Amino acid sequence: MDWFSYLASGVGVYVSIAVFTLGMAWRIYEWSRTPRSTVRLALYPKPKTGLGRFGKLLKDTLLAPQSVAIATGVMLAAFAFHFAALAAFVGHLRLVHEFTPLVALLGEDGMNAFAGLSGGIAGIVMLVAVLYWIVRRTYGAYRKLSTPEDYLLLALLLGIVVMGDHLRFVGELHASTYQVWFASLMAFKPAFPPELAASSTRLALNWHMLFVDAFLIYFPFSKMTHAVGAFATNLVRSSE
Amino acid sequence: MEQQTIDTLVGVLDKRMNRQLKLYMDICARCAICKDACHQYVATQDMKYLPARRAELIREIYRKYFTKTGQFMPALYEARDPDENLLDELYDSTYACTGCRRCTYYCPFSIDTGWITATAKGILIAAGRGNEILGELADAALFKGDNMEMFGEIIASGFADIEAELREETGRDIPIPVDKQGADILYVALAGSHSIKPAAIIFEAAGANWTLSMFEAANYGFFYGDPEKSRLIAKRYMDEALRLGVKEVVITECGHAYRVAEMFYEAWAKEKMPFKVRHILEVIDEYIKDGSITVDPGAIGEKVTYHDPCQIGRNGGIYEQPRDIVKAVAGDFVDMTPNREKQWCCGGGGGIVAMEEFDAVRLKSGAKKVEQIRATGATVLACPCENCRLQIAELNEVHDLGLRIVPVMELVAEAMASAARV
Repeated sequence: MDWFSYLASGVGVYVSIAVFTLGMAWRIYEWSRTPRSTVRLALYPKPKTGLGRFGKLLKDTLLAPQSVAIATGVMLAAFAFHFAALAAFVGHLRLVHEFTPLVALLGEDGMNAFAGLSGGIAGIVMLVAVLYWIVRRTYGAYRKLSTPEDYLLLALLLGIVVMGDHLRFVGELHASTYQVWFASLMAFKPAFPPELAASSTRLALNWHMLFVDAFLIYFPFSKMTHAVGAFATNLVRSSE
Repeated sequence: MEQQTIDTLVGVLDKRMNRQLKLYMDICARCAICKDACHQYVATQDMKYLPARRAELIREIYRKYFTKTGQFMPALYEARDPDENLLDELYDSTYACTGCRRCTYYCPFSIDTGWITATAKGILIAAGRGNEILGELADAALFKGDNMEMFGEIIASGFADIEAELREETGRDIPIPVDKQGADILYVALAGSHSIKPAAIIFEAAGANWTLSMFEAANYGFFYGDPEKSRLIAKRYMDEALRLGVKEVVITECGHAYRVAEMFYEAWAKEKMPFKVRHILEVIDEYIKDGSITVDPGAIGEKVTYHDPCQIGRNGGIYEQPRDIVKAVAGDFVDMTPNREKQWCCGGGGGIVAMEEFDAVRLKSGAKKVEQIRATGATVLACPCENCRLQIAELNEVHDLGLRIVPVMELVAEAMASAARV
């Protein structure tokens, strides 16, 4: 591995995962050790039972029906992005372990075609959503509300998605090549397989990983903590 | 701004910090979905009334003093010291906020901007920038509570006058018991006879063992943003309830007063009260349904609509009882759209009706309510909140809505009189 590859696709991965994990653990610890409000802050109507409250918490956090009703366009973009990101994340798990039952069902070529199609759709959806957010945030009231942090996060997301799409649509390598690199990461001996090291795709992968590393490192120190915090705040609206 | 002042303001934020507030500070995505939820922003399109912006002012201080990242990279996070410019904007955006929490309802993370603006008021007060009139009204209420030997007789004489008015209007002796030991109900009314007379008629007809509080329900300490003053103002009638040994405190048709008594007081006082708190309309609904009082179902012949005050509805959970009451006395009831938890704030909450400097934005922000009322075609508006009634009365005049705006219990008293005549 050259130094840039080692930084972005080697040691950077460990550092970012460590910072992300410890950072989020610290944030959750910080929230949990801060005393709760003694004042009742619920909104009505609210469920009367614990199970009802749990159900409402999931509904409010995962579907946000009130927000959809008032800001359908923004929320559809948000759902599309989050769903596509989840799909992309699940797709990336193939690098850890091949989805054997699917390969058995579709065959290796079929699996690659399926991954290409689903990953491609997810990549395009994420790209469109990120561009929409950048445009939305750059004009009108949102520009005045926005902080540099918002643009930094969008820039990182754009970098991840654009380079990911590049790997998907332009790169000539398949999952099996990346699996070798990922196995080296998991063995704590990061190295590119010769096929990847010799390919110009390596550069796109390094940039993709550099953006991912930076995003994960920044995550616990940004508004992205809403990924966890929203469950706590949405619970308050139906609390006792 | 001097560092000592900054430290004081930051100290207020620190003192008020709790888990919910910390989360609200940390996780806002600034998606601005709240813009379409706020009646003030919708009407004015003024950035300072955007709920996320109101909260962002506090977040800027929070990031500077409560996060390492904000201290390390203030430009990235827009972390900053409080200064006069910030306090100017904070004053306008905070005291204009009616605390309706419609933005909280629609926020995908349920961020409670009303709770954040309550904290902002604390910061403004510490900076000597609290709203003067609200502060004076709060102090006046406390002064009254501390000097009952001076005011007691005057108040009692006022109640005697109301008894005389009732005698003249109904031809019957309807007592207004005060300081009655062993009463079941302590009724906490507003200053003025309009919240006492219909309640007295209803309690008397229902045979209730009640007594009237010497203190008014309105709590300007709450609007001012000082929880301690707010607690002490509510404590006046809570202590009275304890002394008289009542089974329940019944709050009149006043939104914030109900919320203070039911949702906040025990948390502020750090003790559980040995009585329950109910809204007067919960009690009246029960009286109608169990036959304790008789109403003429067609007494109100006009088309009637109902306004859900935010503090009673979205923030208090009382939606159906007032509607059931209105339907019991009016043959032609029509609901506004949207209603219940989605109801638009009328624009008159949070003490804004008492602050002349916000008159222009207040009246402008009633636009959605005017649209809603017009769409119903109603000529009577039943409204169980004094601030909402004051605001809608002004909207009624400005927009020539031709409405009769009445407390719900006044409709009930009319329907009882009508039933008695039949």
